[in-house]
Amino acid sequence: MVRLVALLASLMLLVAACGGDQPDDATAPADEATEDAAAPADEATEDAGAATDDDSGATEDAAEPTDGATEDVAAGDEGGDCTLDEPVPVGVVFSQTAGAAVYGVSQTAAVELAAEELNAEGGVTYDLIIEDDATDPAQGITAYERLIEQEQVSILIGPTLSNVFFSAGPVAQEFGVPALGVSTTADGITEIGDYIFRDSLTEAQVIPNTVAEATESLGLERVALLYSDNDAFTVSGFEIFEQAVEEQGLEVTSTETFATGDTDFSAQLTAVANNEPDALFVSALAEEAALLLTQARDLGLDVPVVGGNGFNSPAIIDQAGEAAEGVIVGAAWNAAADDEANEAFKSAYEEATGRAPDQFAAQAYTGMKLIARAVESACSADRDAIRDAMEGLQGVDTILGEFSFTDGRDADHTGVTQVVEDGSFALLD
Amino acid sequence: MPGFLEELLRGYQSAVVFVGINGILAFSMYAVLIAGQLSLAQAGFASIAAYTSAVLTMEAGLPFPVVLVIGMAVAAGAALLLGLPVLRLRGVFLAIATIGFGEVVRITALNLDVTGGAIGLRPIPRLTQLWHVYLALGTCAYLFWRMRPSRLGRSLAALKEDEVAARAMGIDTVRVKLFAFTLSGALAGLAGALFAHYARFISPGEFGFERAVETLLFAIVGGLGHWLGPILGGGFLTLLPELQRELGIEAGWLRPALNGTLLLLVILFLPSGLVGVGRRIVPAGLRHRLDVSSVQPADGPTERAPEPAEIPAVAGDAPAVAVLSGVGKDYGGVHALRDVSCAIRSGEILGLIGPNGAGKTTLVNVLTGLTAATSGTVVVGDTDIGGLTADRVNALGVSRTFQQTKLFANLSAIENVMVGGHRVAVATFLARLAFLPWTRRREREHAARADRCLALVGLAGQSGAPAASLSYGDRRRLEIARGLCAEPDLLVLDEPAAGMNHVEAAALGTLIRQVAALGVTVLLIEHNVGLVMDTCTRVVVLNFGEVIADGAPATVARDPEVVRAYLGDAAGRPDHAEHGGPE
Repeated sequence: MVRLVALLASLMLLVAACGGDQPDDATAPADEATEDAAAPADEATEDAGAATDDDSGATEDAAEPTDGATEDVAAGDEGGDCTLDEPVPVGVVFSQTAGAAVYGVSQTAAVELAAEELNAEGGVTYDLIIEDDATDPAQGITAYERLIEQEQVSILIGPTLSNVFFSAGPVAQEFGVPALGVSTTADGITEIGDYIFRDSLTEAQVIPNTVAEATESLGLERVALLYSDNDAFTVSGFEIFEQAVEEQGLEVTSTETFATGDTDFSAQLTAVANNEPDALFVSALAEEAALLLTQARDLGLDVPVVGGNGFNSPAIIDQAGEAAEGVIVGAAWNAAADDEANEAFKSAYEEATGRAPDQFAAQAYTGMKLIARAVESACSADRDAIRDAMEGLQGVDTILGEFSFTDGRDADHTGVTQVVEDGSFALLD
Repeated sequence: MPGFLEELLRGYQSAVVFVGINGILAFSMYAVLIAGQLSLAQAGFASIAAYTSAVLTMEAGLPFPVVLVIGMAVAAGAALLLGLPVLRLRGVFLAIATIGFGEVVRITALNLDVTGGAIGLRPIPRLTQLWHVYLALGTCAYLFWRMRPSRLGRSLAALKEDEVAARAMGIDTVRVKLFAFTLSGALAGLAGALFAHYARFISPGEFGFERAVETLLFAIVGGLGHWLGPILGGGFLTLLPELQRELGIEAGWLRPALNGTLLLLVILFLPSGLVGVGRRIVPAGLRHRLDVSSVQPADGPTERAPEPAEIPAVAGDAPAVAVLSGVGKDYGGVHALRDVSCAIRSGEILGLIGPNGAGKTTLVNVLTGLTAATSGTVVVGDTDIGGLTADRVNALGVSRTFQQTKLFANLSAIENVMVGGHRVAVATFLARLAFLPWTRRREREHAARADRCLALVGLAGQSGAPAASLSYGDRRRLEIARGLCAEPDLLVLDEPAAGMNHVEAAALGTLIRQVAALGVTVLLIEHNVGLVMDTCTRVVVLNFGEVIADGAPATVARDPEVVRAYLGDAAGRPDHAEHGGPE
């Protein structure tokens, strides 16, 4: 019995190490969203008179919610001259171990990097209290409760996965603490309540844009659809693809399905090839995506492939090699961006961790910067004041581009459409 | 909740709730492990109840207690349905089958609309409160505390130690296993439903293989020796991350590494789990009061059995306790028994001898219901036992010992004997739950009965010792006491003198005559022909599955066919006599 238990325990460790939930983060943007992003909310400034703390840098009042005092600085300037005596406690909960650790670790590093930069600037400093949810909703709940009740944090970032957020988020809502998701893309995250925000784009925001840009760039007319029909994320991705294809007026030559976990796609790919489409649109997880690309090229099917979120990973390029060339995928962050802020972020992150940042790191880094903007704008560590300031953030300049929160507290910024060229992601022209 | 408690738990209330929920999960594992069934289906049962209760709350808006009860009932029903086919599997095979069940549940939840598929179900209202969880946990603890010293508790323990022996002692092992499995399902369901209504969100991933193994770890780390084990195991492993937080160990790889190391240390150095530590540090007196497995007989060791008179031969027309008619047993082409007919008459000591491979043990197994005869009938009392299982045959008054001792090694001597008396013991579990006064009296009476049996075989001083710690001869005698406690009409002794020297064998002969003097009919299977000749009132000789002689010991000993069977064909010829010998 004891030996069996030991065996099972090691098996479990193995599973924990190798397995891993699919990151449910997505990528590219919705066109129409960008239009009002640049404009700061005019009406926000009108209330400013009600709160005079702004200019005086009144730190004593930090604990007081100062409704309406907030959106003053929302537009372009760098947070103004707010100074707080005490560091603002920020609770950071990511999956640093178990299934989603691969994302949680880089998210944590990115938030730490952002806080270091902010603390070096002075004015307002931040005290990060970092917790691990171990990819477990129960630990997400206990971590949130402890951070809120014991550490008295002003605001929370994380958790990494949507299913942990669904359990932990309501705790923040109940206690009235703002919480910012930086990688959660499932529907309904921000519906938990008015204290819940996220800076990550959903598939529904990314895919239509990807389809539109690919259609325009490649002059597509006839496309084939292929998706895994036993996974909720790939099915919902497919539904968004289907709708986007219809909106673009494309003709669908055939729709083929497979199952997550399949390793042989030759039947489906042959059927696709027989109809001679201009491109193949695929909603699949990363594991199947790489195999599928390789097999398609082996079968001589060399039309462009447009992928959902499962394709948005450098691992695809590593695994599929040559076969990944020309793959088009939407993303929230342009890894090839060479503006000053992005260059600075990339080199600082690489120096700190020894790795190049991925989209998760970029979104987490942006999350911390958004929080700082809201805190400085409210000039308060008060939870409600920060929440109100968050809600009013418009047109903030970030490494993701110009960023605003929608009325539903979801992310609103332009995503990018990437294409694999010479073994790395580049912008689609 | 009282204000002071709320203040005390500030920031930790959810951790305390999860300690309780995981404790209940651990109890669900404990329920099957104490019956020796390594099932990993608990996460699946929890999942079924979690989804059922969540859907009922969200869609039907039923009151929380109703939802909990339905969730538990559905999980228990699933356990019962699963148990019927899989409980014939043992050990690692049962584990694999139940892991398979867990996967089926997970994949079903992943693909149904009502469960929300991979996206999961939410928002489930948070209805679970701290006191619900601890009331449920307390009820579990109470249940198992009251169970252990009941007839049911002993049956579970016996089943865990040796299933064949448990069945031969009259325990309906199928029913007991199903009970354990169903109880386990209900408790896992309770934990699952409480979890769903606390976490507010469930998805198929919550109840996968990892959760199943985690549940096993709760139970194993806590220890199976005491009903406090699941609470300690669930509490320890759930609080470990919190403890590390408090100790300031940074989040990251160090925590799981420490968890793994601690787990390894517990498994290696505390094989009886955390309750094993408790046993060492809690003062003996207090422990005695808490340790419900110790049994106190009503009165001290009782009278020794009367010195045996010569047991007279029984007349041929005395009533038969068992009759074999034309019994045959084939294993493929091998005829282990052929057309065996013989009656065992009330009050006799019947010896059954024969060379190796003659079919003696097969005959015993057929007579006690462990194997079914291929042809012929066996009648015990008035009942044809064809098709009856060993426990039913035991209930008819046939008790036995085994050629290779099959004691319940980790149970004390007196508990072994009390299990043997399953047939005459009163079912006390439900009454013990209600603290009915008569249960104490009945349990004491049963313990006293067991004590008398121990005294009869000369083990009065050893009642508290684990069976495994006894010497070989004592274990043999303990088996006889265990068989006797059933107050059987027929006691079957399968080679009780194997491995004994002639002094011990002679003492055993005396013991057998003492037993017979109490009015128990004895069937003695033996290789030691001397013991049989001295002890038995009648002897049946088997060779190659057939009865070759039947009669008084002296007559049988001179039967030429018996001599030939034992000494070989050449025995009759004087010039080769020196080469002959028993096979």
